[in-house]
Amino acid sequence: MLENFSFRTIVEYLPLFGQGLVTTVWLSAISFVGALVVGIVLCAMGLQRGWLFRAPAKAYIDAVRATPLLAQLYFLYFGLPRLGFVLPELVVGILALSLNSGAYIAEIIRAGILSIPRGQVEASVASGMTYVQRMRLVVLPQAFKVTIPPLLGQAIVLVKDSALLSLISVAELTRAGQLLASDRFMPAEGFVTIAAFYLLLYYGLKGLAVVSSRWLGSAGARA
Amino acid sequence: MKIARLFIAGLALAGLTAAASAGTLDEITKRGELRVAVQTQGPPFSLVGANGERTGSSVELAELMAKEMGVKIKFLDFDWDGLIPALLSGKADLLVADMTPTLARGMKVAFTTPYMYTGSTVFTKADSKFKTTEDCKAKGTKIAVLLGATGEKEAKAAFPDADIKSYKGGGPLLLDAVNNGQADCGVNDISAVKGQQTAYPAGTFTVMPDLLSKEPLAFATRYDEPDLLIWMNLFLNQVTIDGRLQKNLDYWVNSDAWKKDH
Repeated sequence: MLENFSFRTIVEYLPLFGQGLVTTVWLSAISFVGALVVGIVLCAMGLQRGWLFRAPAKAYIDAVRATPLLAQLYFLYFGLPRLGFVLPELVVGILALSLNSGAYIAEIIRAGILSIPRGQVEASVASGMTYVQRMRLVVLPQAFKVTIPPLLGQAIVLVKDSALLSLISVAELTRAGQLLASDRFMPAEGFVTIAAFYLLLYYGLKGLAVVSSRWLGSAGARA
Repeated sequence: MKIARLFIAGLALAGLTAAASAGTLDEITKRGELRVAVQTQGPPFSLVGANGERTGSSVELAELMAKEMGVKIKFLDFDWDGLIPALLSGKADLLVADMTPTLARGMKVAFTTPYMYTGSTVFTKADSKFKTTEDCKAKGTKIAVLLGATGEKEAKAAFPDADIKSYKGGGPLLLDAVNNGQADCGVNDISAVKGQQTAYPAGTFTVMPDLLSKEPLAFATRYDEPDLLIWMNLFLNQVTIDGRLQKNLDYWVNSDAWKKDH
């Protein structure tokens, strides 16, 4: 079986895979920052008492979670221009990943905030703290710690989702594999190589999760 | 005596292996089904008609093949760059698409003799500032091509300073990208472009009169199915002689006659 596997071709295509990897990393990083912003805004809207902010945030989160990312991506790339908005593929890609991942992140942050025992909030109210003080000193530092692992999990999902951008002509990692598969008709070589690179990214992010949770753990112990 | 026995045993073994590799045509007959890889990319070669039926020039030729073989037909849909892998991995017996038998592809799959000739053309949006093939050579021009198609390589050669954007899927994606303004020019087979632009209002695109290349089209099988390849060549020869091929091409490729029926 392996005698049909061409390592030589993989080496020949390594520069292409390298470029794809770099694109995947920076695209995912920007998209994740965007997703954090979207998530925090959505979460803040969702935690409001009045329905005016809560209802649209909830509707948005439901809409995103109910539809496939591919459909959202195609809508933004092929659909929006018909409505008069033409965006370059990189912008569409980052937008789609941020808007999609943001909905999940909003739920992660919300869960983190709601995990803080009600008694602590009541106690801080009783000690005369304002809403901002309460959030800044009591709720958010603890919520932050709880949300880090699932946030990094979401980051891993985002990196994998970024593979879909190959479908709108973004030259990222998966596209490099597709090129090898279509130029040389070597799908095994192309897709095994990108799988190895995604695994590398996965371990990188996982290592980040371990390090950050240790760091946060000791910071928490000091506090 | 011993040698004679060995000889007979050897003969029997050879007979057995011959029976085991009884050929794809036998396999197809036994299965009662011809499995054909297609890319339903749009007129004129492969499309889904107004009544939801699968049809087109290549599709009808494949159906004719199955009819002559006396078996049913099963179409398997793939993206353009997935057609050859699908054939190589044995998911399909043969592939019919508007595929050019390039030397690189010929290293992997066995092509029939070409049954028609076409060429890559450049198209732009009619109201854009890109009016000629020459305009598309400007630095940074965004050129839409199909991943794995011959147009991809021809565009790279003809427009070295351009920004080549390759899309995974079918020809209509290129028309869409050009129509939407995400690409300035597109490169694809002229027969495909002419057929597929009928989905848009007349005058949406400018199709350049000059061709970037001359390209034969052929069907393909695997090299381990020589019997099927021989039969397919025989088929193409036969339909050429009796005029069924010309009828097919006149209806689908050389005119818009199909439009009133599908």
